[in-house]
Amino acid sequence: MAMLRQPGPRNAIPLMLLMLVGFAAPLLAVIGFSLVPARSFSLWQMPTLENYAGVFSGTNYISFVYSLVFAALTVIVLAVVCYPVALGLVRVFGKWSMFMSLLFTIPLFVSENVRLYGWVLFFIKNGVLLGTLKTIGIEPESWLFTQSIILFGMVYVYLPFMLFPMTLGISMVPKETRDAAFDLGATRWQVFREVDLPLSMPGITIGFLLSFVLAVGAIAEAKVLGGQRIIPVTHDIEIAFTYAQNWPMGSALSVLLMLVVGVLVLVVLRRFDLDTILGKK
Amino acid sequence: MMERRTSRRSFMQQSAGLAALAAGVGGLSARAFADRSKELNILCWEGYNSAQVLDPFRESTGATVKAESLTNDPTMIDRLRAGETKVWDLINVNNPWARKVMFPEKLIKPLDRASMEPYFEKMLPMFKPPYKWAMDDSGKELLGMCQRFGPYSYVVNTDKISRKTAEDQGWDLFNDAANAGKYGILDSADWNVFNICVIAGFDPFKPRGEAEVAKFTETAKKVFKNAKVVGDIATMNQALIAGEIDFHMTGGTYSASPARADGHQNIRGITPLKGPLEGGKGGISWIEVTSTVNNPDLSPLAVEFLKHVQDPAVAHTVAFAEGTFNPVAQMANPDCFKLFTKDELDAIQWDSLDEEMARSVEYDVVPDYDKLLEIMNSAKREVSGG
Repeated sequence: MAMLRQPGPRNAIPLMLLMLVGFAAPLLAVIGFSLVPARSFSLWQMPTLENYAGVFSGTNYISFVYSLVFAALTVIVLAVVCYPVALGLVRVFGKWSMFMSLLFTIPLFVSENVRLYGWVLFFIKNGVLLGTLKTIGIEPESWLFTQSIILFGMVYVYLPFMLFPMTLGISMVPKETRDAAFDLGATRWQVFREVDLPLSMPGITIGFLLSFVLAVGAIAEAKVLGGQRIIPVTHDIEIAFTYAQNWPMGSALSVLLMLVVGVLVLVVLRRFDLDTILGKK
Repeated sequence: MMERRTSRRSFMQQSAGLAALAAGVGGLSARAFADRSKELNILCWEGYNSAQVLDPFRESTGATVKAESLTNDPTMIDRLRAGETKVWDLINVNNPWARKVMFPEKLIKPLDRASMEPYFEKMLPMFKPPYKWAMDDSGKELLGMCQRFGPYSYVVNTDKISRKTAEDQGWDLFNDAANAGKYGILDSADWNVFNICVIAGFDPFKPRGEAEVAKFTETAKKVFKNAKVVGDIATMNQALIAGEIDFHMTGGTYSASPARADGHQNIRGITPLKGPLEGGKGGISWIEVTSTVNNPDLSPLAVEFLKHVQDPAVAHTVAFAEGTFNPVAQMANPDCFKLFTKDELDAIQWDSLDEEMARSVEYDVVPDYDKLLEIMNSAKREVSGG
C-alpha cells in the first residue's frame, strides 16, 4: 500500500487496470481453456493436460512444422531480397533512406486479403499473366495452388517488416568507420564482413524477428494463394475454434504457438538492447 | 487534513438519493428488457441478413433488425446452447435441426399452427402440410417455416465433363485416379463429411461400424490428396471458370448459381443418378427451416418477419439476395413465379430442379459427426503439402 502513496505507481493504476483487463485477462482465459476437457465451453472444470497430449499424439504437429518451416523460409528469402535493397536505399538516398523504405509500407494500407486475391487474378489460368502469355503462344502450367506460391505470398506480404528495420540497421553504420577500414587497406569484402554486417546486425536481427513472428501467424497466403495445399497451425486453431467447436484444443494450440514464439523473442532480445538500436543512447 | 463528518440527516438524504437512483436505473433496465416490440435479432445463413431483405421490413415496422450470418448449422446451434437463446428471436438452419435437436433441447418454441400452416398450402407440392421437417416428432407442433432449398452434391464444368457423364459416373468421379489434380473441394465441414462418406460408399446418416470408419479415413486422405484446391465458393467458381479445375465436390444450385447468373451456363450443379444413400439415391438436398428461438422475451416481430418473407415479392428477393441464389418454396404461387426472369430460372437450374430433388435424400444429422470431422481434419493435415 505504501507504494500507492507515490504518484508514479498511483497514476499508473488506470493503465495497469486496462492492461489487466485488455491484455492479461484474455490471455489467461486462453491458458485456462487449454486446461479443460476437450469440447467443453466452461472454464470451471477439473483441469487436464489431455489437449496438450492430443496435440502431440495427433497430427497437429504437421501444421506446426509447416508454420515454422514456411516462416523460416520466408525470413531467409526476405534476407536475401531485402539486404541489397536496404543497402542500395542507404547508399543512394542517405538520410532519406528511411523515408524511402517507408514507401514500401504503402501496400499495407490495403487489406492483405484484397492484395492476395489480386495475385490470384494475376496468376490464375487465363488470368493477367497466363492469359497474356497465351496470346503469344506460350502456355505454361498454372502456378496457383502450389506450395511455392504460398512462400511467394508470404515474402510479398512481410517484405516491409524486414526492409524497414534492415534499412534502419544499415543506416546506423557510421561512414567514418567504413572509410577508416578502407584507409587501413581492407578489401570491400572485409569491410562488408567486419564493419557493415556486425554494425547493422541489430537492425537485421529485428527484421528477422519481426518477419518470423508475423510469418508464423500467417494464414491467408496458404488459404487464398495456396488453396489449402498446406494447413498452417493458425488454420488449425481457426478450425478448432469454429467448425470443430473445440475451444480447449484451439487454446492448447494457441498456447504452444505463443510459447514457441515467446521463447524465440526472449532469446533474441536478450542479445540486443532495443534502446541502442533505436538510437536513444 | 480536513475531516468530513456525516450527520445522521445527511446520511439519510444521501441514502435515499442513492436508492432512488438505483430504483430508476433498475426500472429503466427492466423496461429495456421487456420492450422488444421494435427489435428483432436473426441468426441465419447469408441472404436473410442482406439489406434487400431487411430494409423493407425495417421501414415498414420502424424496428431495429440485426442479423448475423454463419455458414454452418452446428455452429449456430451451439450458439443457442451456449445461452444465446436470450439474444436471438429467429434461427434459420437446415431441415433436421429443428425437429431432431432444437425442439427436444427446448432451444426453439412452436409456432401457431392455425395462422402459419396455411402458408404451406401455397408452397411447392413437396412442402404440403403437415410438412415433416416443419413439424415435431408427434406431428402436433409446427416448428418453423420453409423457404429456400436445393440439391447439393457436386458441380462440374460441362465443357470438360458432360452432364450425362457426371450424372452416370456419380461420386466415383472422386475415386477415379485419373481425376487427381482436376478437382477442388468447397470447404464446408459438415457437407465435406457427408460427401466423403458417400464417396467411400456408405450412407452418412446411418450409424456405422469400425470398417466404415476405416474406409472413411482412407477415402478422406485420398480425396484431399488428389484435390487441387480447397477453398470457398468464390474460389471454386473462379477456378472452374478459369479452367484450373474441372469439377468440385460439395456444391449445387447454392454454390453454382452466382457463376451461372454471371453468364457461365457451363458451370452446373449435378445430382448423380445413383449412390449409396437411402433408396439407392446419390444426391443430398437441403431445406431451410426458420424457427422462433425459445427466447424468454421473444420479439413480437419474429412471427411478423416469418409472414413478411412469405410475400411473393419478398420471397423472390430472398431467392436472389446477395451471395447465393436459390429456389424458394413460394415459387408454386404464380404471383411469385412470374417475378423470376428466364435468366434467373437458368441460374437456379429450374429445368432440372424437380428431378434433382427426387434423386436426393434430405440433409440429416450424422450420428458420429464429431468423430468423422476430426478424422477428416486430421487426414487433411496429413496429406497437406501434396
